[in-house]
Amino acid sequence: MRYHPLTMVFQIYQLVKNSFLIALFLFVIKRDSAFWLFEYGRYVFVIAMLLSLVYIVVSWIVEKYEWKDQTFYIYKGIFVKHTSIIPFSKVQNVTKKTTFFHKVIGLTSLTLETAMDGNDDAIRFPVLSKEKADYLVELVQSGDHPQNIEEVSSETAESTQQKQEAADRVIHFTPSRNDLWRASFTSLSFLAIIPIVLGLIENIGPLLPDTDLFEGIFQVLLDNKGLLVGVIVLTAMLAAGFGVVRTFIRYGKYEISSNSTHIFIDRGVLDESSFMIEKEKIQGLEMHQTWLKRIFGLVEVKLISSANTDNKDGSVSVNSLYPFLPLNKAYQLIEEVLPIYQLNNELQRLPKQALWLKLCRPSWIWILATIGLGIFKPNFLQIQQAWWILSLVILFVIILHRILDYMHTRYAVTSDQVQWWHGGLTSRMFITKRKKVIELTYSQTRLQKYFQVASITTVNRSNPPHMETLDDIPVEYGQAIENWYLKRQEDVLLEKNL
Amino acid sequence: MSDRVLEHRLSPAFPKVRMISESITNMVGFVVLGILFWLDFYFAWPTWAFWILIGLVLFNIVGTIYSLIEPFYFYQSWSYQFNEEYLQLCYGILRKEWVIVPMTKIQSVTTTQGPIMKTYHMRSIKVETMGSSHTIPALEEEVALSLRQTLAKYAKLKEVDEA
Repeated sequence: MRYHPLTMVFQIYQLVKNSFLIALFLFVIKRDSAFWLFEYGRYVFVIAMLLSLVYIVVSWIVEKYEWKDQTFYIYKGIFVKHTSIIPFSKVQNVTKKTTFFHKVIGLTSLTLETAMDGNDDAIRFPVLSKEKADYLVELVQSGDHPQNIEEVSSETAESTQQKQEAADRVIHFTPSRNDLWRASFTSLSFLAIIPIVLGLIENIGPLLPDTDLFEGIFQVLLDNKGLLVGVIVLTAMLAAGFGVVRTFIRYGKYEISSNSTHIFIDRGVLDESSFMIEKEKIQGLEMHQTWLKRIFGLVEVKLISSANTDNKDGSVSVNSLYPFLPLNKAYQLIEEVLPIYQLNNELQRLPKQALWLKLCRPSWIWILATIGLGIFKPNFLQIQQAWWILSLVILFVIILHRILDYMHTRYAVTSDQVQWWHGGLTSRMFITKRKKVIELTYSQTRLQKYFQVASITTVNRSNPPHMETLDDIPVEYGQAIENWYLKRQEDVLLEKNL
Repeated sequence: MSDRVLEHRLSPAFPKVRMISESITNMVGFVVLGILFWLDFYFAWPTWAFWILIGLVLFNIVGTIYSLIEPFYFYQSWSYQFNEEYLQLCYGILRKEWVIVPMTKIQSVTTTQGPIMKTYHMRSIKVETMGSSHTIPALEEEVALSLRQTLAKYAKLKEVDEA
C-alpha cells in the first residue's frame, strides 16, 4: 500500500520550510556577493532542491507498507532497498499529531514507536486520513496481546473482558483555569520572549536602513526617566501576556484519560497531538520538581517507556503526563491511572552520617573551577578579587545542593516495587516495579565504606537505558535491596513455549 | 563487608597477562615519546612543547609503575557467580560494585582472545544486556567456553511482558 499522496505535499512543504533561510541568505542578503562560496552555492542549492523534489516523488512511488498476521512490513529506499518487519506487539506507544498544516488539509500524522534504536525505531506516517489513522491505532491496540501471552492461564479469562472495557475511557484530568495561570508563571514562559526578540533583532537588524535610528531612540529613553519606566513596564506586561498566551496554547486543551489497558494523553490547541501507551509497557514513573515548582506545590509526572521519547523538535515531551500538576492531584492521578503503583507516604530518611559523607566528598567541579579561576583570574565587573568570590559562590551552591539532597532523599522498598525521592535544587521521585528493573548494581566507594553506607543503581528499559541511583543509604538497606532484587522471579512470568 | 566475594574468580594467570599487555602499551608510549623528543630537537620546536613532552614522560613513568601493581589488586577485586536466574559480578578497586543481571535480560554473549591471552590459553567474555554490557576480563579457555554455553542456555528463557 502506498502512503497518502499528500505525503509528497507535506514533504515539499517541509523542504521549503527547512531551506528557506539558506535561500534567503543566498539570493537576498548576499545577492551581490561574488565570493565563490555564494556564487557556486546558488547553483548547488538549485540542483539540490531539484534532486530533492525528484527524490520525494520517486520515493512516494517506490515506498510502500502493508500488514498481515499482526505484523507491519515497511518497504523503503530507492537505490538501497530496505524492508522492516515489525510485529504489532513491539509497538510501545502511539502518537497522533495534527499540526497546523494537517489541519488545513484535514488530515493527520501517526507515529508508532518501538523499542529499537537506530533509524527505523518508529513507523511514521507523515500524512494520512483520520479514519485510516484510527483504523491503524485500533489494529495495533488489538494486536498488543500476542497468542503466547494468553497461554498464561489467568489472563485468558481477562482478555475477553478487557476488550469490552477497552471501549469506555475515563477522563482523569483536564487543567482548570487556575492550573493554567500557575503554569504560566512557574514555567517561566514569559522569559521565552527574550530569545524571540533577540532573534528578531538579529535577523531584521541588517535589513534596516541604519542603526543610528536605534541608538537615537535609546538615547532619548535614557534621558527621560518616566518614559524609560513606562517602556520597561510595557515590555514586562508584553512578556507576561506572551507567556500566558504561550502556556494556554501549549497546555490549554489537555486531557488525560485511560481505560483498563491503555493511557491516553490528548493535548494542544494549534498543533493537536494524542499519545497512547499500553499500561503494561510503562517501565516506571518519575516526578520532577524544580525549586520554583516546589514553591507553588506543583510537580511534573513522567512515564518511562521503552520507546525513544526524545523531543527533538522542542515540543512538550510526549511521555510527560502534565508538567504542572498540583502534588496531591499528581498522587491521586497515579493511583487512578496506574493502580498497580502504590505510592507510599512512609518513606525512610537517610541516616545522619550520610549528611557528613555528602559534605566530606570532594567536589571535582569546585576544585577544577577554582583552579581554572585561579589561573585565568577573570576580571568580572571590574572587581580584582572576583575569582575567589566566584569560587566561594560555587562552593556555597554545591554545599546547599548537597544539604538539600540529604533532606530530599527518602526511600521505600515494598514487596514488588521501589520508590525514592532524591535531588538537590530540583528534586525527583522515581518509582518502578521489581520486574521492570533489568539490572541492579550495589556499589561502595572507600569513603562510603568508612561511613557504613552504599549506593544502589537500577537500570530500566528505555532508550537510552534509564538509570537511577540512590546514594548513601545504610549498608543493611543496600543489601536488603539486593536480596529483594534476587527474589525477582516471584513477580515474573516466563513464556512457556520456549 | 566488602570482603563479600562471589563463587568464581578470574584465571590466576590474569595478573601476568595484564602486566605484559600494559607493559607493551607503555613501551610503545615511550617509543612514541622518544620519536617526539627527536623531532623536537631536530625541528627546534618552541620551549613549551618540550615541557609538555617532559610532562607526558612523567605521566608515562607513573603509569608504568602503576601497571606493575594494579593487576594484582584488579585480580583480587574480581569475582563472579551465576545460576539459572542471575549472573552476578563483583569488581572495582577504589569503588566496589556488585552487579546483578537477570539471565532473561541477557541479549548476547561474546568471547574474545588477543594474542597474549592466546599464549596463556585465556578468553574474555562479554555479556550484553538490554541496558548495558559487561566484560569478564579473563577466564581459562575451557571455563570461558563452557560459561558461554551455560549463559546462552539460561538466557534463552523469555519473560512474558518483554516486548
